[in-house]
Amino acid sequence: MLTIENLQAGYGKVQVLHGISIQVPQGKIVTLIGSNGAGKTTTMRAVSGMIKPTAGKITLAGVDITGLDSHQIAKRGLAHSPEGRRVFPTLSVLDNIRLGAFVRYTKARPQGDIESDLQKALELFPRLKERTHQIAGTLSGGEQQMLAMARAIMLNPEVILLDEPSMGLAPILVEEVFNIISRLKGEGVTMLLVEQFAAAALKVADYGYVLENGRISVHGPADQLKDDPAVKAAYLGG
Amino acid sequence: MKIKSYFLIVLGLAALGLFPVLVPNPYYVHLVETILIYAILLFGLDIVVGYTGQVSLGHAGLFGVGSYTAGVLFFKLGLPFLLAVPAAIGVTAVFGAVLALPALRVTGPYLAMVTLAFGTIIQILINEMTFLTEGPIGIKVAKPIFFGHKLNEVEYFYVVAVLMVLALVVVHRILKSHLGRAFEALRDSPVACDCMGVSVYRYKVYAFVISAGLAGLAGALYTYSEEYISPNTYNFELTILFLLAVIMGGRKTRSGALIGAAIVVMLPSLLSDINLFRVIATALAVGVAAMAAYNLMRKTRTVRELAVPVLATVAMSVFSFQLENITDWRLTIFGLMILFVVYYLQDGVVGFARDFLARFVRPKTHASVGSSNANLRRWTSTHTNASAGTGPLLEAQQVLMQFGGLKALNRVDLRVMPGTVHGLIGPNGSGKSTMMNVLTGIYQPTAGQVLFNGHSVTGQTPASIALSGIARTFQNVQLFGEMTATDNVLVSLHHIYKSNIVDVMLGTTRYRREDAAAREQAASLLDFVGLTAMSQEQARNLPYGKQRMLEIARALGLDPRLLLLDEPAAGLSPADLPELMSMVQKVRDHGITIILIEHHMDVVMGISDTVSVLDFGQKIAEGKPADVQSNPAVIEAYLGSGAQAH
Repeated sequence: MLTIENLQAGYGKVQVLHGISIQVPQGKIVTLIGSNGAGKTTTMRAVSGMIKPTAGKITLAGVDITGLDSHQIAKRGLAHSPEGRRVFPTLSVLDNIRLGAFVRYTKARPQGDIESDLQKALELFPRLKERTHQIAGTLSGGEQQMLAMARAIMLNPEVILLDEPSMGLAPILVEEVFNIISRLKGEGVTMLLVEQFAAAALKVADYGYVLENGRISVHGPADQLKDDPAVKAAYLGG
Repeated sequence: MKIKSYFLIVLGLAALGLFPVLVPNPYYVHLVETILIYAILLFGLDIVVGYTGQVSLGHAGLFGVGSYTAGVLFFKLGLPFLLAVPAAIGVTAVFGAVLALPALRVTGPYLAMVTLAFGTIIQILINEMTFLTEGPIGIKVAKPIFFGHKLNEVEYFYVVAVLMVLALVVVHRILKSHLGRAFEALRDSPVACDCMGVSVYRYKVYAFVISAGLAGLAGALYTYSEEYISPNTYNFELTILFLLAVIMGGRKTRSGALIGAAIVVMLPSLLSDINLFRVIATALAVGVAAMAAYNLMRKTRTVRELAVPVLATVAMSVFSFQLENITDWRLTIFGLMILFVVYYLQDGVVGFARDFLARFVRPKTHASVGSSNANLRRWTSTHTNASAGTGPLLEAQQVLMQFGGLKALNRVDLRVMPGTVHGLIGPNGSGKSTMMNVLTGIYQPTAGQVLFNGHSVTGQTPASIALSGIARTFQNVQLFGEMTATDNVLVSLHHIYKSNIVDVMLGTTRYRREDAAAREQAASLLDFVGLTAMSQEQARNLPYGKQRMLEIARALGLDPRLLLLDEPAAGLSPADLPELMSMVQKVRDHGITIILIEHHMDVVMGISDTVSVLDFGQKIAEGKPADVQSNPAVIEAYLGSGAQAH
């Protein structure tokens, strides 16, 4: 579904990614693990067009999306839930979720036909349902993370990029976030997941890649990586 | 590098000194004189715009105040140059303090409006106060007289040149000192700036006062240069021109101010000659086309991105040959050129040149930085032997924090014993961060009080609380993004500097001694958190986890007795956690008490001596980690049934 070939990217003079290749097959969850500064978030940003790759090719459902602007990539069905949950702080919860479906409002479908998806998203996140008219900036960190995820789902995307969904969340919420990821997986959503809780990520994912200094060092099925002694020592906290 | 910059300085001074000899034409001497005067003002404007990040549309007004102070003192009292100029600087600086007042309350477009009104009012006052300023008729001034000798145009040029160089040196020293760092810090994160003991309030006023002083000097010199002043000069257009000069030249550089001044003074004059304009337009088109070809070859830009600038400059060049008369088109062309520069060269001419040259210079390796590690002084806190008193170091009593109808903190008590790590946990939105903000003075509690070391800190400013010994990190990292890692730490070491602005200007031994001490301390702090190799990197370019480490180093720079850590492990991978935990323990072993907010249970339970749990703004549990962990209320509200070990 999403194919990344030999991707190189960076910021200014600093090259972060030195040619990485990742396959995210339809209906699977693929996780990207690695230590701080390895290039996980940079990969996400390069795929969703927030930074321009300097080399390599990215295809989404067979279509080349390399070098397109973020909004064009979103239109082609790639949703990005960024690190640090960038919700629109002055808009209500409901407006935030609706904005996720912005590109679905077209001339042919002036209402976007998003009502059923809206209900589905609210079912998935009951906490948001209780707060539909609250201003997003006043939500707690965990609720904002859920909102960012709900907003990504509203695009009805081919692929979701989920960057650090559990960052700064209470343990009880981390559990809930991973439950939601499992439920999305059950519904056949394709996902590229970056997560510090590598153990939890590998539990829910089908396949994993380990990123080291901008290069893929190991990759394989998630349950194999989980038992890989090197991965265990470096990323699973022993 | 050193030799190269000395060479440039000597070259610049020689060019300045020889200019009137080589080009004796009085018109050009006067033109360059005007550039130098504008440059003095732009040095000051850049402090406000580039460093503190405030917009000022009031600088033409300040320029006018300086001009008229000198002019009126000469005209009414016959004061000599040597008295009139300092008086102009002083009076304008006072006006600068007035202009700073709105900047303390509003920012962005609102500040632009207020400063614009300030400038307009000044112009109107100059026009109306005829008893003082002679109104629209203006004031005639003679060139200054030294020892009975009246200066001619060239001699006065040298006076201006010397003062410009002096202003340049002084401004450069100020901006490279702790004062300059304070200006930049309050731009990048006012909250963090206050929490590092650097009062945003005070340094904003300083920035405006220094900036206004320079505008006053420029204004006074302008009066003597023109020998006639009238209110119409100090209008809105002039203020826009100043702002454009800073942006076009390149903010945060002195060379940018000089180039910006040259552009705004010279271009309108150059454009009045059609043949010269043709040359400039063609040269520009050739230059842009060459750049475009170079970029295409290296594939750093696409054809679409390059088409507009190339076509625009070529069109302008063609257009220049179609024109028979330029006078009608002058302003339009000037405006278009400004648009072009602002759109394509956002870092100004200097920024563009720097980026361009940087491509040909191999990036510096920072290997040499690490090698000096051996003789680095290890960081220590001064509280190592602080007597652990019997009472609590920090005591929050019945703290109530109400936002509208929401009670974010509902009568919470917190007692933190000296020398301990006190964990603070709770679900997202339970009031932990609110508590941090109350303890550091960012929020004033609705009721209740906070005692630190036995004294109430409630009602004190964040800066003074920080200086009394409470340091913090932020949940959503609040580094000074455009500043290097070293400079970030140096901001919190601001308290080391006892030097005043005169010490900085003169570069006294006191200042140099303090600066060396602060830099040594900063280096050992960066070493402590393992960031030595990245000390010269801009904070915003560091990976997230390293940014958190930098925040800890910066907080320790305050030499605190109490350190508040707000989710230090967020964004760290499990493999990094042992390192973080041992660092927190090391900090505690230095005699620093710690309050730790964290969601990683391994971390909190592993290193806390006491843990308090908040839920919906109320304390629901407190005690030893093991007891809290097995408390049913805590499991239900926070840990969850699975209680998976992360």
